[in-house]
Amino acid sequence: MINLKGIKKSFNKSEVLKGINLKIEKGEVVTILGPSGSGKTTLLRCLNFLEKPDGGMVQIGNIKVDTEKATKKEMLTIRKQSAMVFQHYNLFAHKTVLQNVMEGLIVAKRVKKKDARYRSELVLEKVGLKDKLHHYPSQLSGGQQQRVGIARALALNPEVILFDEPTSALDPELVGEVLSVIKTIAKEGITMVVVTHEMSFAREVSDRVLFMDGGVIVEEGTPLEIFHAPKEERTRRFLQRISGDSFFPPLKERVN
Amino acid sequence: MTIDIPFIWTAFKEIIKSLPITLILTLVPLAIGFLIGLTVALVRIYKTRFLYQAANGYVSFFRGTPIIMHIMVIYYGIPLLIDQVSSKFDLNIQTNKIPIILFVLIALSLAAGAYLSEIIRSGIISVSTGQLEAAYSVGMTKYQAMFRIVLPQALALSIPNFTNLFVGFLHTSSIAFLVSEKELTGAANIVASTNLKFLEAFIAAGIVYWGLTIMVEGISFLLEKKVTSYSRGGVS
Ligand SMILES: Nc1ncnc2c1ncn2[C@@H]1O[C@H](COP(=O)(O)OP(=O)(O)O)[C@@H](O)[C@H]1O
Ligand SMILES: [Mg+2]
Repeated sequence: MINLKGIKKSFNKSEVLKGINLKIEKGEVVTILGPSGSGKTTLLRCLNFLEKPDGGMVQIGNIKVDTEKATKKEMLTIRKQSAMVFQHYNLFAHKTVLQNVMEGLIVAKRVKKKDARYRSELVLEKVGLKDKLHHYPSQLSGGQQQRVGIARALALNPEVILFDEPTSALDPELVGEVLSVIKTIAKEGITMVVVTHEMSFAREVSDRVLFMDGGVIVEEGTPLEIFHAPKEERTRRFLQRISGDSFFPPLKERVN
Repeated sequence: MTIDIPFIWTAFKEIIKSLPITLILTLVPLAIGFLIGLTVALVRIYKTRFLYQAANGYVSFFRGTPIIMHIMVIYYGIPLLIDQVSSKFDLNIQTNKIPIILFVLIALSLAAGAYLSEIIRSGIISVSTGQLEAAYSVGMTKYQAMFRIVLPQALALSIPNFTNLFVGFLHTSSIAFLVSEKELTGAANIVASTNLKFLEAFIAAGIVYWGLTIMVEGISFLLEKKVTSYSRGGVS
């Protein structure tokens, strides 16, 4: 379970997160939509303390931290509760696919090398990269690299996996393979927070959709509610802009 | 004046006997300088309190002044310092018994440390912050992320710069002959003045330096190819 209370973050006096409150149940898949610059990335980064929030409370699993008083040790502990998949993959360039996945297990979780290897091969098989174990990231396509990124997160068996626009750096024809891997693990009951612009993916996979704008969560609801009956004008305008007018017909028409 | 070509070979055979000194004067400062440079680079990157200003001052001074000056100041300055301390506390240290090479090594190591810290620092900066954040995101500490993810790549990327510095220091070690250290150039000077064949002796010394440089560059090329193979696409 994740619980955020009053998360605030400013950069150079401009407030990027204006007190975010958010509760996520175990096994829930939450997607975050919103225009560029609305604070989606910052919110994810505050969740695992890649960015230190200016105020508020972060709880992941049993670990609860008051961000204003957080010590380095607390930040590390809470960071170990989560894993992250980055927009630009951020694989370790000097390590092979297998080593990329094993690294966190061996170094941060102190898993024995043999066990780490076994577990890593298992998750790499799950993301369809069993035949690339000893390749370097530079030898892989973007889609394959991102699947390594997902395997690296998955291997840690975290409370939650944070995805920051996992497909937006990919060529269009590679988006599908990555989304289908994410869908597969979503079905396995892993808690996920996904920032994405892939609307049909969000609609299909989410238990809940959040719409963020200007550093606040403007609206949240089930995919059906957000995509077909948004309450807020801002949400409606955003959805229209991003998908064209015809893509999401009003609910009534669809039923007919 | 004519040139005595066969004497070049004679001089070569004599001069090359001093190769070990030149190698010591190159390798030892670079090895010690590497440790200094790594420490200083990390202090500057992490902006460690108090040490940060000292590290900046050190790099600025040693890169901002010629190496020959470091050698001279240390060669004349340290004995003076030791003599003063020694007489004050009745330690009875005789500074003229300290081998000259020690002063030269200290001076060259300090200079190498300053240059190497800049090379290592720029190597560290050129590794993407994304990888550092990924390392944090899998739960590594600052120290683990630096030593397991960033530094190996930073050092691999720095090989061409290390090579340049190595060659530079190989040649710089020649100024040790000014304080009568008998390395390659010092040996050439002796051969030249005892036989009054300056041109031949220094040509011979030049050949030794050039040969060494070509060898170093070759080794560096192979090494770089090997350790940065990860960054080239294609099948492994
Ligand atoms: N490290 C940073 N320093 C300064 N400004 C930042 C930093 N990170 C994000 N911002 C600013 O915060 C705002 C929100 O950014 P971000 O969270 O990346 O938005 P999103 O992911 O929704 O596009 C933007 O205006 C961005 O310029
Ligand atoms: Mg973003």
